[in-house]
Amino acid sequence: MKKKGSLGMSVVLAFSIALAGCSGQPATTEGGQGESPGTTTTGTAEQPSGEPKYGGTVTYGFSSPFQGLLERGFYEGVDDDKILYFMMDPLFQVGDDLRVYPYIAEWTESEDHKTFTFTFKKGVKWHNGEELTVEDWKYALEVIAHPDYTGPRYSYVEMIEGAQEYHEGKANEISGIKVIDPYTIELKMKRAAVNTIDNLWSYPMPKKYYEGIPIKDLPSSPQVRQKPIGTGPFKVKNIQPGEFVELERFDDYWQGKPYLDGIVYKVYDGALATSLLKNGEIDITDIPRSQVKEVEKLDNVYIKEEDELGYAYIGFDFGHWDKEQERVVMDNPKFQNKKLRQAFYYAIDRQGLLDAFENGKGTLIQSPMPTVSWAKAPDSELIPYEYNPEKAKQLLDEAGYKDIDGDGMREDPQGQKFTVTYHAMSGTEVSEPRAQAVIQFLREVGIDASLNGGSLKEFNLFYDMIENDDPSVELFAGAWGLDSDPDPTGLWRSSDMWNFPRWYNEESDRLIEEGVSEKAFDPEYRKNVYIQWQKLVNEEVPMIFLYSRKEINVINKRLQGVHTNSFANNLYSHKWYVTD
Amino acid sequence: MVPLLFLISIVVFTLAKLMPGDALSGKIDPTNTNPAYIAEMREKLGYNDPLYVQYVRWLSGVIQGDFGDSFIHKMPVSQLMGHRLSNTIFLALLSLLITYLIAFAAGIYAGRRPYTLGDNLVMALNYIAYAIPSFFAAIVAIYIFAITLGWVPASGTISVGGGEGWLASLLDRLKHAILPAFCLGLVQTAQYTQFLRNDIIESSRKEYVRTARAKGTSESLVYNRHILRNSLIPIVTFLGIDIGLLLSGAVITEKIFVYPGVGSLFIDSVSNRDYSVVMTITMMLSVMTLIGNLIADLLYGIVDPRIRLE
Repeated sequence: MKKKGSLGMSVVLAFSIALAGCSGQPATTEGGQGESPGTTTTGTAEQPSGEPKYGGTVTYGFSSPFQGLLERGFYEGVDDDKILYFMMDPLFQVGDDLRVYPYIAEWTESEDHKTFTFTFKKGVKWHNGEELTVEDWKYALEVIAHPDYTGPRYSYVEMIEGAQEYHEGKANEISGIKVIDPYTIELKMKRAAVNTIDNLWSYPMPKKYYEGIPIKDLPSSPQVRQKPIGTGPFKVKNIQPGEFVELERFDDYWQGKPYLDGIVYKVYDGALATSLLKNGEIDITDIPRSQVKEVEKLDNVYIKEEDELGYAYIGFDFGHWDKEQERVVMDNPKFQNKKLRQAFYYAIDRQGLLDAFENGKGTLIQSPMPTVSWAKAPDSELIPYEYNPEKAKQLLDEAGYKDIDGDGMREDPQGQKFTVTYHAMSGTEVSEPRAQAVIQFLREVGIDASLNGGSLKEFNLFYDMIENDDPSVELFAGAWGLDSDPDPTGLWRSSDMWNFPRWYNEESDRLIEEGVSEKAFDPEYRKNVYIQWQKLVNEEVPMIFLYSRKEINVINKRLQGVHTNSFANNLYSHKWYVTD
Repeated sequence: MVPLLFLISIVVFTLAKLMPGDALSGKIDPTNTNPAYIAEMREKLGYNDPLYVQYVRWLSGVIQGDFGDSFIHKMPVSQLMGHRLSNTIFLALLSLLITYLIAFAAGIYAGRRPYTLGDNLVMALNYIAYAIPSFFAAIVAIYIFAITLGWVPASGTISVGGGEGWLASLLDRLKHAILPAFCLGLVQTAQYTQFLRNDIIESSRKEYVRTARAKGTSESLVYNRHILRNSLIPIVTFLGIDIGLLLSGAVITEKIFVYPGVGSLFIDSVSNRDYSVVMTITMMLSVMTLIGNLIADLLYGIVDPRIRLE
């Protein structure tokens, strides 16, 4: 939910999908602040003796310039997202296991799962000294639902009763929002859903501070651009557009005074990551996987690896998107045979690809679910699809794809030439060799594969062709970013426009429906439904799930108390401290 | 010039719109939104209108000085450009200055002593500067001067919290800009040095120089007044092209040095399909090149009396 695209608009990993949701029962506070289950730490992060002490400044590096839209309701890129983690706290927080936990606010849910009552902590301050009240949250929900709002987040508030009427300009207020007192607010939802809390907008906006600014001018206002405020542990002191943001300690922070005096968020060129970490100019950053080997040799840093929330895949094209009916139509006969698709899976050496092009930093996956998610099916329940060209050949033989004319390439069961185009994206130095490797793996088992149009496609063109069902696209190599909740809605139903393989399966649609049904309020039941669903896509292979890559967070040994997880490396920065 | 600009505007607009995808194709992200929002925004931004309607709307805005809003940066393009442009111009001027200083010194030095050790050395350095791609030169320069020697900062335009008072702040800016400026002008420096050296050698064999020498004119006067002035003419021709080239050529350099100027803005805007920014920058570069040519024409008159317009 809240933390959109850990991958965002990066050139390599383009599109992100939010699978939001989760069981909404209030859980223990301070949820999931321990060591994240997916964390691998290398290099001695030796805990220094003694207590953390106050003082010191650290430099947080990020390798691409930021837009500077420093308001949760408007930001779009990972760049601003990282700054916002320092300066803005949510009302409820996603933990390392991707469940939602109370943070500034707690909530209770009515019997019919439609009414939620939120209670805010008292004494939480904005950076300008004003106290946070439920009015600030009400204001935020109204801004996002407003007809003049141009940001992309309306889907986070549309489940509230009356939000749609307000969005269409038919009502003066959102009828489902009821303020009880400055610390208590009641929200009525249109319908009961198991993942309401996960999908609900969790950030307030400083109502008094933004007072008098028309909503359409908010994104360009100085209150957002030059002097943004929040409720987080660090407040913005100075912004140099595109270069750095100076943040200083916020003494009245609701979880107590942060240890550090300040943090400098600095933009640098990714190619220099190793050198800048080595000479201490940057204390913490995530580095390109291509530099892992050099960074591992440095003795002044430790490394925390995290599986990213997302995966790389190779999709099969099954048909096209019917704009009128708003559903997928499976009218491309090419890949309808399941054995053929499984043969493709076995033919590709995924670990080999990881080792060659990502320095081995990744985890093989067999289903589209974050590796750290509570709903992830155990590996024992899924077909592992280990690299096995012999098995691939056998499956192809069984499916009737045999080499008849003796040219080394197989013909289809009707005896016609069987060719496959592979549609891939340009962008990094390994794009080309990686695409050639995949093609080579397929050719080795007798599939006449070639690069679509003879060349890699630039990011926009690549997705443009897939979205518009260009007939030349048959196999395509893409990537999705995932979010906290396991609900596959948005990508996998037959009525989802972003179901890019255009794959329809009755059972899959049924299970997805089942996962957000009345019965799914029982977490065990819901988990089982998703395991069933994962087994189905694992067996049916609508796409070849390749791997989730790892984020490589590198931290200078002087900086301690850093918590990393699959979606952020700078949460809870009030606990950071330096040893020198 | 006006009809030319009009034609350029048509080309710029058409090419920008011909790029596959648009500013919203990068926003496909169910974490944030759904297909309905994207369809709604496309309608709101007028991407569904016929091309000529969009062109007329854009052009009438530009004529009134309104370059539109950047979809990605969510602010008026003119506001966005203002800050970036001052950075880029500062960088370009500094680069031009460094280029001329080095090229004149090295070119004259080598030209007066052709085929000696010094000349060969200058020429060797020259060929190296020519051959190294600028992104590589930039990374090597950062590694040597910023990281190993620590003389200058590796990136940015100013220091964090640095530069109180105008003098300190100017020095701080200079310190940040000198390395990118040098890398930016590297190829031009090599080009000018080569040109000047060859021209000086050639001129020094001409009749009028022999005459001057025969009259007993001092050697330095011969070189500085008679030869140099003639050798300047072709260099001035480059100046016009250079202004456009420096602004657009800053793309890679600005990216590596994380120098927020027009170049890095341009490349980001192209990959994000931020049309209004792309079109504004392209138009600006066209205008700059035209103005540069005009300046070059006027400068001709100063260095070469034969071309002087009466």
